[in-house]
Amino acid sequence: MIRRVVFPSAIILVGLLCGASHVQAEKRILTVGMGSADAGKLDPHLTATTPDKGLLNWMFNGLVRIKPGQVSPEYIEPDIAESWTSNPAATEWTFNIRPGVQCHHGYGEFTSEDAAYSLRRAATKATSAFSSDFASFDNVEAVDKLTLKITLKNPVPGFLGYLVNYHGGNMVCKKAAEEMRENFSRKPIGTGPFEFAEYQPQQFVKLRANKQYFRGPPQLDEIVYRYIPSDSSRDLAFQSGELDLIYGRQEEIWVDRISKLPGVKVSTMELAEMSALYLNTQSKPLDDIRVRQAIAHAIDRQSIVAFKGQSTSRPAVSVVPSGYLGTDEHAPLYPYDVEKAKRLLSEAGYPNGVTIKTVHTTLTSMQNVIEAVQAQLKKANINLDVELVEHATFHQKIREDLSQVVHYQAARFPVADVYLTQFYHSRSQVKTPTAVTNFTHCNLADGEIDAARIETDAARQKALWKTAQEKLIREVCGVPIYEQLQVWAWKDSLDLGYELKGSLNLSPPITEKTRFTK
Amino acid sequence: MAAFIIRRLGFAVVTLLAVLTLVFVLVRIVPGDPAQVILGDQASRDAILAMRARLGLDRPLWAQYVEFLSGAVQGDWGVSMVTGRPVIAEVVRVLPWTMELTCVSLLLGAVIGVPLGVWAAVRRNRLTDYMARIVSLLGLSFPPFVSAILLLFGFAILVPWFPVISATTGSVSAWWQAIALPAVNLGLITAAYITRVTRSAMLEVLSEDYVRTARAKGVPWHVVVWRHALRNALIPIITVFGLYLSILIGNSVLTEIVFNRPGLGKLIVGALNQRDYTMLQGMMVIYTLIVVLVNLATDLAYAFADPRVKLQ
Amino acid sequence: MTVSAPRSLRAPAHYFLRSALNAFNTNKTSWVGLVIFTLIALAALLAPLLAPHDPIEQNVLAKLRPPTPDHLLGTDSFGRDILSRLLYGARVSLVIGFIATLAAMAVGSAIGLFAGWYGHRFDALVMQAMDVLLAFPSLILGLIIVAMLGPSMTNIIAAIALTSVPAFARIARAPTIAVKQREYVEACRALGYSDARIMVRHILPNIFPEILVMGSLWLANAIRTEASLAFIGLGVKPPTATWGGMIREGFENILDSAWLALAPGFAILVVVFSLNLLGDGLRDAIDPKLRGEV
Repeated sequence: MIRRVVFPSAIILVGLLCGASHVQAEKRILTVGMGSADAGKLDPHLTATTPDKGLLNWMFNGLVRIKPGQVSPEYIEPDIAESWTSNPAATEWTFNIRPGVQCHHGYGEFTSEDAAYSLRRAATKATSAFSSDFASFDNVEAVDKLTLKITLKNPVPGFLGYLVNYHGGNMVCKKAAEEMRENFSRKPIGTGPFEFAEYQPQQFVKLRANKQYFRGPPQLDEIVYRYIPSDSSRDLAFQSGELDLIYGRQEEIWVDRISKLPGVKVSTMELAEMSALYLNTQSKPLDDIRVRQAIAHAIDRQSIVAFKGQSTSRPAVSVVPSGYLGTDEHAPLYPYDVEKAKRLLSEAGYPNGVTIKTVHTTLTSMQNVIEAVQAQLKKANINLDVELVEHATFHQKIREDLSQVVHYQAARFPVADVYLTQFYHSRSQVKTPTAVTNFTHCNLADGEIDAARIETDAARQKALWKTAQEKLIREVCGVPIYEQLQVWAWKDSLDLGYELKGSLNLSPPITEKTRFTK
Repeated sequence: MAAFIIRRLGFAVVTLLAVLTLVFVLVRIVPGDPAQVILGDQASRDAILAMRARLGLDRPLWAQYVEFLSGAVQGDWGVSMVTGRPVIAEVVRVLPWTMELTCVSLLLGAVIGVPLGVWAAVRRNRLTDYMARIVSLLGLSFPPFVSAILLLFGFAILVPWFPVISATTGSVSAWWQAIALPAVNLGLITAAYITRVTRSAMLEVLSEDYVRTARAKGVPWHVVVWRHALRNALIPIITVFGLYLSILIGNSVLTEIVFNRPGLGKLIVGALNQRDYTMLQGMMVIYTLIVVLVNLATDLAYAFADPRVKLQ
Repeated sequence: MTVSAPRSLRAPAHYFLRSALNAFNTNKTSWVGLVIFTLIALAALLAPLLAPHDPIEQNVLAKLRPPTPDHLLGTDSFGRDILSRLLYGARVSLVIGFIATLAAMAVGSAIGLFAGWYGHRFDALVMQAMDVLLAFPSLILGLIIVAMLGPSMTNIIAAIALTSVPAFARIARAPTIAVKQREYVEACRALGYSDARIMVRHILPNIFPEILVMGSLWLANAIRTEASLAFIGLGVKPPTATWGGMIREGFENILDSAWLALAPGFAILVVVFSLNLLGDGLRDAIDPKLRGEV
């Protein structure tokens, strides 16, 4: 009797317990929980979405990098390039590439040929979403195997910033990119501490350690980047220990709750992404400036900050995020005034209100913002019709000029030029050959933006940027709302290997130093 | 017998054609223009024309129909607009997950539901029957996602016995842990359904003459019930199994969302959110195929089991 | 079917009422179902009077609060009153459910009547199509239809109605065939009555009880399907309150406040359960075998 019943039950019980607990020596697999439903484009030169950028950051290097954990350009240090020089005019830069950097999956040693190819690729519209960043690049030349020479049309203030491991500065391997072409975004090849291993649509991307990483083999064997769009499922998975690092719900309420859990570290960090409504000024009824002004007056920035939480967000100050070089911290944004909004609408011929439409993402942190905005606009008789699509689809549709109002949340390299060019310069207008992310069809600040970019006097440059921001705000090409800090949490048994103050790629860098302490 | 099978097959083919035509018509009766629906009202004329060409809508209607039918018959059920992979490949990739959940749930439902239904039928109109009927009705009334959330809340939050993101593979215990809550969710609802069906089938059988005769002959009651009555009641019960399968697949969509489990459900919702029009159309065709096949199989199984059917 | 004098010889409405009362009295649970459902329907009807707050008014400083005297069921993630949203959500669910079911009743019964009346190939073809449609998971069918047409109230109603049509067709067909063969129908034909007149005056009253039973059961199904669609994200668009949408939001926020998910969940359960009690009880009353007669 005992043998027949007790022993099998005991074995089953033990088996269950073994399954339930994590019986391991030092853990070497990092499981990350991300809030989007699926990967978008896994090509560092093409993707602008936070979920993709974070992942790719762990796979790629730049010629230089910002020290992991920092966000300010003053922390730029060598990455693939071990040193560099420039001519006095700062128009010719020579980079010495360190020897022995290996491309993933056996694609050979990374040479200046790869670097040149990568920069050219990043500067070409057809292969890069960030080609406009490289407008000042005249020529890129592989002088010899480990020497790269970049010639600029004019000196670019903060030039090194364009070469960090961010957006177009990410270095891809030539042989792989040429071989795979569009399929590169299904199997990206770089030089970073982790390399691509597997992708299961709507489930996860697996990375494994690049044992030949030039800074030393990583202390993690594998990273599983899981797509869990449901906030509560992600939270629960984190609480139960199934996830080690989690993209949090970007709200104070969440931070408060998660901080109370034992063994958890929470980070609310820079760069803050600025949320703004970009209005298509050529689409009725937005072609009338009074309607646009009404929208600007109808939005209560402070209320949105209160909604998200004071500790995780702050109101927008200008059409460019605060803290960037060149941001006008006291720009003349339209004040919250619902009565004025209604009056303006009547004047424009819409006494009973107006309806505008937006194609919007299902990403919850952005979705609840647009719902709050929708309620605010309603008070001024502005009906905002929201069509929801998945995050990657959203990014694709808005670039096809299919949304009258675009709610975009973004951070860019912290220099005003980048943000202004990408979102407000006419060259960046979507559906043009040089498109980036200008959804507004505005072009009135082109002159100031172009002049500021090549201006060598710092004070004059700032003044030009200030004028540009003023003009754009007055014309209401876009309505800035608030700035969202990045909220991440992880188990305190995960030692990132550095102190996390912020990240350009909006997610904590996972380097060769990252490891589990137990 | 052969004539019966051929006739049934013929019917199935006709039905398939009919429903495929329905799918075809559905897709094209969208008020306005499918291309417009996909792209929205800010799209330029050129973009719409390009999308129409891409979807093959610029061809004459009969040509589209022929192309659609011939494609469907040859197994070309479209290509995803987002990934470029064939729809059937995506479906085959996730089908094992859905099948696994469906089978375990069906099993669970049967194991709980059949005995309960028999018991209720035997104790007809007494308290047990009454309770069983109320409880099964309650189980049926639960929207699957509400019960899923309750289960998640109870057994993954309040009492953390089970994992939350239920797709882990690996050891057997990990598999069982991952599938437990979703299967229980669907299984209980299935059990409710099966209880009711079993009960009514048993009641029918128990009212037959031969049961009375057996009792009169002195056969013990439990033998009559379990050996004779149940055997005969099983036939309609199994038929219902087949019909319920498709309801189960529908319910599994909701369960998969709550428990973050891969499967047909997540695939279809994903296609939805990505406006993957051709994927939706392809999946509809595949669902139709599955449904018709299951119907056919059930019909044939029923015919084999019950000789009286063939005489119709 | 009853074996007594044909129902059509008495005024249909009168008979219908009497048979309904009979059915109710036979099975007490159907009374319970009716009462509960009526209460809920009343609450939905009187929502503007009963709701303490505006269902779409946001209060960003009072997110996800537990029940207080001011907010009896707490607030949701935008600070809106859950109770008010629950009441208004009831309207959406019930309106969609009713209209969809009525539409399906009308269309489905017509199809079944015609199929049964004209018979032969037409009947076989139509019923096969209905069978397949019936076997199609109604959620998937509804999902795909709404996905392709877009989530508006009309489209949701149309999609749910479509999934319910086959059941009514089936239920209308069988009695049609049975009655078609009766002598008094032959007599009517001989007298020169038109097909339409016979169908409406003689066959329809016979199938009323069955259709009523089906109606209440499919109404329950319709409400559940609408909630499921809203949960997936295909419901009436925000900020309109829908039960399914509230549960979706509640699921996202379940760790902060369980009320948002549990209140509408419970509401759906009660509505569907009461309708099932009602329909089930009626069905038991109508079908002699299930009553335990032998």
